[in-house]
Amino acid sequence: MENDERQIAVETRQLTKRFGKFTAVDNLDLKINRGEIYGLLGPNGSGKTTTIKILCGLMKATSGEAIILGGKAGGSSIVSRTGYMPQETALYLDLTVHENIELFGEIYGMARTAISKAEKELLKFIELEKWRNSTVANLSGGMRHRVSLICSLLHNPDLLLLDEPTVGVDPELRASFWDYFNALRARGITIIITTHYMDEAHHCSKIGLLREGSLIAEGTPEDVTTLAGTKSLEDAFLVLAGRGTGRGIC
Amino acid sequence: MFIFGVAFSGNVEDVKVIVVNSDEGVYDPRSNGTLNLSEMITSNLDRDTLNIQCGSDEEAATKSVEDGKAWAAIIFPQHFTQDVMMKMQGGPSPGNAAITIRADKGNVNIATAVINSVAEAMMETMDEIGKETPISIVDSPVYGENAEFIDFFVPGIVAFAIFLLTTLLTLLSFVGERTNGTLDRLLASPIQGSEIVAGYALAFSIIGMIQAAILLSVGTLVFKIIIVGNPVLAFLVIALLAIVSVSLGILLSSAAKREAQAVQFLPLIVLPTFLLAGIFWPIQAIPAFIRPALVYNTADLRC
Repeated sequence: MENDERQIAVETRQLTKRFGKFTAVDNLDLKINRGEIYGLLGPNGSGKTTTIKILCGLMKATSGEAIILGGKAGGSSIVSRTGYMPQETALYLDLTVHENIELFGEIYGMARTAISKAEKELLKFIELEKWRNSTVANLSGGMRHRVSLICSLLHNPDLLLLDEPTVGVDPELRASFWDYFNALRARGITIIITTHYMDEAHHCSKIGLLREGSLIAEGTPEDVTTLAGTKSLEDAFLVLAGRGTGRGIC
Repeated sequence: MFIFGVAFSGNVEDVKVIVVNSDEGVYDPRSNGTLNLSEMITSNLDRDTLNIQCGSDEEAATKSVEDGKAWAAIIFPQHFTQDVMMKMQGGPSPGNAAITIRADKGNVNIATAVINSVAEAMMETMDEIGKETPISIVDSPVYGENAEFIDFFVPGIVAFAIFLLTTLLTLLSFVGERTNGTLDRLLASPIQGSEIVAGYALAFSIIGMIQAAILLSVGTLVFKIIIVGNPVLAFLVIALLAIVSVSLGILLSSAAKREAQAVQFLPLIVLPTFLLAGIFWPIQAIPAFIRPALVYNTADLRC
């Protein structure tokens, strides 16, 4: 049991979120190991963003529970160990890259020296050193996404929750992002990423297919295609979604 | 349209005045009783326009006007009737056959309504006794001597500018935090929601107070508006309005998901406030049933 707690980064039990009569997340059971890149895949409205928002404490579940890094989702000790990158760039456009980084570092209670050290390292890692003193409003959309990722990583989180980080990003930058994510995974960071780009799922160590708030399949990308008997994940999703309530856990 | 009609269609009414009547009257051989012109004039005052209270002391009545508890003190001297009668008979008048009105002219419209009411009551009384009398009205304002319409108008505009700018700035900034995702990022961090609101309130209140100081300086230095009381108190009144406006902006932002929704609050909240705050038209001219819900800050500033 203790071994489980050390190994499991995120666990949800019967997690449900309703908005009036609409059920956004329906009895979701997830178990995500530490050091994994877990992809939550599904079309728009399948409950991906709602799940991420519950995990980072922005929303309360209607029923069920979410355990993050051994604690309750949204708990003060947990949020300081979690990095969250929203779908929007979520930066102050009038501030420079450095000022945004400094602000979010201070919000996470980091000392000036620690912020400075993390900023230097991350700007090098994300290849933005040249733009440190540029105002965010003057940066391209891709660069803003990269700054946003830096702000999520600044406090060295154990868990990174990324809500559609590659939406509206060109293929070259998307490839760079996945390089960053793999490098972060190599450092031991657990990443949960939502996307509706099925081709991105191959970068994940494990994926969960969501449809109408329910998990319809889970496993490695290869496991899921094998289960559906298809060559691509896109076809796999269509086949598995067509099975209605049928659910395959590999 | 309804609010516009409500704001601009009424007459000034329910203006609290204190009548200090020291007049002893004179013996009237025709009625074999006492003739008291001051009582007749008082009874002829328009009770719709004026909310009349009786006072016994001129100083206390003047103090009430100074403290904003009444709009005017109407003072009849001790030998008022006697002096009037002597003047009517062409005799010497050692006293003064005059009614003194000590009004708060911070609101010119209301002060004018009080003076007009007294003049009308005086004329009516003269008609009743069938004589023309030499009564005069001494206009001796407590506040706002030589006040003009701009002295009435500019404080209202200052208050409204602070209200509009601060509410709108806070509302749009908070909604902007929501639409560009920074609010989610902040809420997913270790800081509490209450800390975010407190930070916003503090920052925008400071901005509001700077605006207040600038507007008040422009009002007094450029437009020469009369400030009889303490300018620091006038500043504090506007600063308080700025803090309240920030809070209103934050409250409204919770009901708006996008900037386009936020802008819709302008006609719903800001415009009625603008019309019903007594900026153009005295609050006393707005129907009594709405008055408890009105914004009195403008009136506080006119002193």
